[in-house]
Amino acid sequence: MGSNYTFVFTRELKRIFTDSGVMLIFFIATLAYPLIYKAMYYNERIEDIPVAVVDLSQSSDSREFLHKWNAAPDVKLTHTCASMAEAEALLKDQKVHGIIFFPKDFAAQLADPLGQAHISLYCDMSSFLYMKGIYLSCNQVMLESMRNIQIDRYEDMGMDKEFAWALVQDAPYHETALFTPTGGYGSFLIPAVLMLILHQTMLFGICMLAGTAREENKVIYRTVGKHRSFGVLHMVVGRALAYFVIYYALAAILVGFFPRLFDLPHIGDIGDILRFNVPYILACIGFSLCVSLVIRNRESGLVLLISTSLIFIFLAGVSWPKEMMPEIWRLAACLLPYTFGVHGFIHINSMGATLEQVEWEYVALWQQALWYFAIYYIVMYISSRRQEKIANSQKLTANSSFEERVFES
Amino acid sequence: MKRELKQMFARPLYIVASVGVMAFSTIFFLSLLKKGSAEEMPVAVVDMDQSTISQRLIHEMQATPSVDIQLVTNSYPEARDAMQKGQIYGIFLIHEGFYRDLVSFKRPQLDFYMTNSYTVGGNTAYKQMLTMANLVSGAFQREVLRKKGLPDDVIMHRIQPLAVDGHMIANPWGNYSVYLVSTILPGILGLVCMMLTIFVIGYELKMKTAHQWMAMSGNNFTIAILGKLTPYTILYLLLGIGCHMALYDYVGFPVHGSHVRLMFGLLLFIFSMEALGVLMITLLPALRDALSIGALYAMLGFSLSGFTYPNMSMLAPVKALSYLEPLRHYYLIYVNEALMGAPAMNSMPFALALLGFVLVALLASPRLKEVLINDRQFEQQ
Repeated sequence: MGSNYTFVFTRELKRIFTDSGVMLIFFIATLAYPLIYKAMYYNERIEDIPVAVVDLSQSSDSREFLHKWNAAPDVKLTHTCASMAEAEALLKDQKVHGIIFFPKDFAAQLADPLGQAHISLYCDMSSFLYMKGIYLSCNQVMLESMRNIQIDRYEDMGMDKEFAWALVQDAPYHETALFTPTGGYGSFLIPAVLMLILHQTMLFGICMLAGTAREENKVIYRTVGKHRSFGVLHMVVGRALAYFVIYYALAAILVGFFPRLFDLPHIGDIGDILRFNVPYILACIGFSLCVSLVIRNRESGLVLLISTSLIFIFLAGVSWPKEMMPEIWRLAACLLPYTFGVHGFIHINSMGATLEQVEWEYVALWQQALWYFAIYYIVMYISSRRQEKIANSQKLTANSSFEERVFES
Repeated sequence: MKRELKQMFARPLYIVASVGVMAFSTIFFLSLLKKGSAEEMPVAVVDMDQSTISQRLIHEMQATPSVDIQLVTNSYPEARDAMQKGQIYGIFLIHEGFYRDLVSFKRPQLDFYMTNSYTVGGNTAYKQMLTMANLVSGAFQREVLRKKGLPDDVIMHRIQPLAVDGHMIANPWGNYSVYLVSTILPGILGLVCMMLTIFVIGYELKMKTAHQWMAMSGNNFTIAILGKLTPYTILYLLLGIGCHMALYDYVGFPVHGSHVRLMFGLLLFIFSMEALGVLMITLLPALRDALSIGALYAMLGFSLSGFTYPNMSMLAPVKALSYLEPLRHYYLIYVNEALMGAPAMNSMPFALALLGFVLVALLASPRLKEVLINDRQFEQQ
């Protein structure tokens, strides 16, 4: 019996390694994509966002503010404009992505002990990262300047300097980005993309293999030999094992070593990651096999499913918080191995969780693997029976012919 | 062309892959991002102080719309554990003796922690915790000044002598749906157009029927390709118009420039993606290779267009590559027309770039003609 598993297993490997399309997707895409993504997000954070200045107050206060702000890495004050119209034109030409405006009475309001000075800030919303960089850095400078002004004003009221200082800084705060303190956009997105690459290349590749088998009308994906039920089991296990061997190795490279090699977050325990990968890869295989049941020919899968990559990364709740998703999509997300896989991986790899802490995801993936394999097995079992009936009615010597065709291929 | 119409309706793939995928994507993204901004992001408060002031702080924080306190505990490890399990995005920590130290001017420290691993959730939590930390300070100053007998309006200006008024151009709500869907949805449409274009031409090659198709057109390449692609192009353009109307008329995303020019940009983008499809099958005259390479290439367009991570911060070679992605040019037209209301001239270079893709495909077409006539010589692996 064991030889049957080995037979299906080696035959599937042969099919994979002799199919250039599948090889391209399984190996080239899987290994090249992470590198391309790393290159795209190499700089991690955006620095020196060009900003135009419109300073009607022309005061030492505004100049000091601008000087401090320009020192922040996020922005660069590239243009000084005489009017808002001039600055707006620069913005429309995309020469700058923000405008800071000081009104005429800026210094006067600051000098007035009861005054409140205003600064207007305009942000280009074409990328939210512009807004974030401009807004947060300006806010930091504003808070710092404000404290100095407050201290001055309290002193003017007759408080002694130390008390004024203590009052203004009555509860200083300290902010910490946990786990990945220096992480930028790439550190956030690439770990999620790595798991998606595994999920999607496997889905496309398996659909391609299944589509090819359908086109060539091979019986091999239907049934093996005369012991029908055993045959289906052999087939499912043998094939799954072939994918597992390949993808477990790919996953080890991608999510195990890639982050360590290319300076991405990797504070998790590598053993935990490798253990977590087992149910993830299995669930992905089961999921892909089930999807491949409806694929009629080798290319249609890619045409139909290519846009799912974007849909899945949102559905899983990575780009957009899961808490904000409508209930129906949150439920739909539970059908996807990627949902549990990506969160589990991010928690272990980027946030240093242990395998016990991702138990929820880990167990969910095992359950998915079980369900998807069960569904695939049942469908295959039924279709192999139907096939046999047809074969019998055509008065073919069904069993022997099946066997012959299988072993010929 | 008649032959093509028959084929188009004979196989459900074409309709499902174009109309079905677009309809689903539209509904999916618009409903998923319906709320637009992140609200009620779960956070934890570690209250080691258990004082009236920490109670009030928790109460006030809970009242804000952007965060939702999921966990109040006096153990930091417990909160950290919740964060590692993905249950919360931020931790606000009030140390023991905070109240006592505050009233005796010992300047107790507040700590807060957020995660960078989930950008939207982490950021939203961060902003709110930052605001809270500043509010605590402001509230205490107000109390002290009140005790000194100052009237409230005077106090207000003492505490807040400087204010920054933020203006978010064209998207004053900071709405993520407006921001993301405007580029993702046209991007998916372009992807679908390219893949199907590769498919309809490549399928003829695969089935070795391309020479018949050419023969039917009297071996006139222009007639053949026009006859083949016209029905699909009409379908794609209708989808493009539908997509534009769904976003800007039905849902009502703002357009500060010209509706017509924005839609025209989308249609040009569709043409250029179709041309890219033709180019792919010309250069790789095997259906499977053209589809795989085409898919890998077009998927990069979403990141390279620079609508999430700005193009300006990419490495020079990556930046150069981004100009080879039609989506990048459509995105820039979108920024000009929908967000900036910029003059038409600003979008011209990008419109020309989109036409450039069509031109390149035309220049390469003699080779495609050769491939189509001699389809039997091109062996499929």
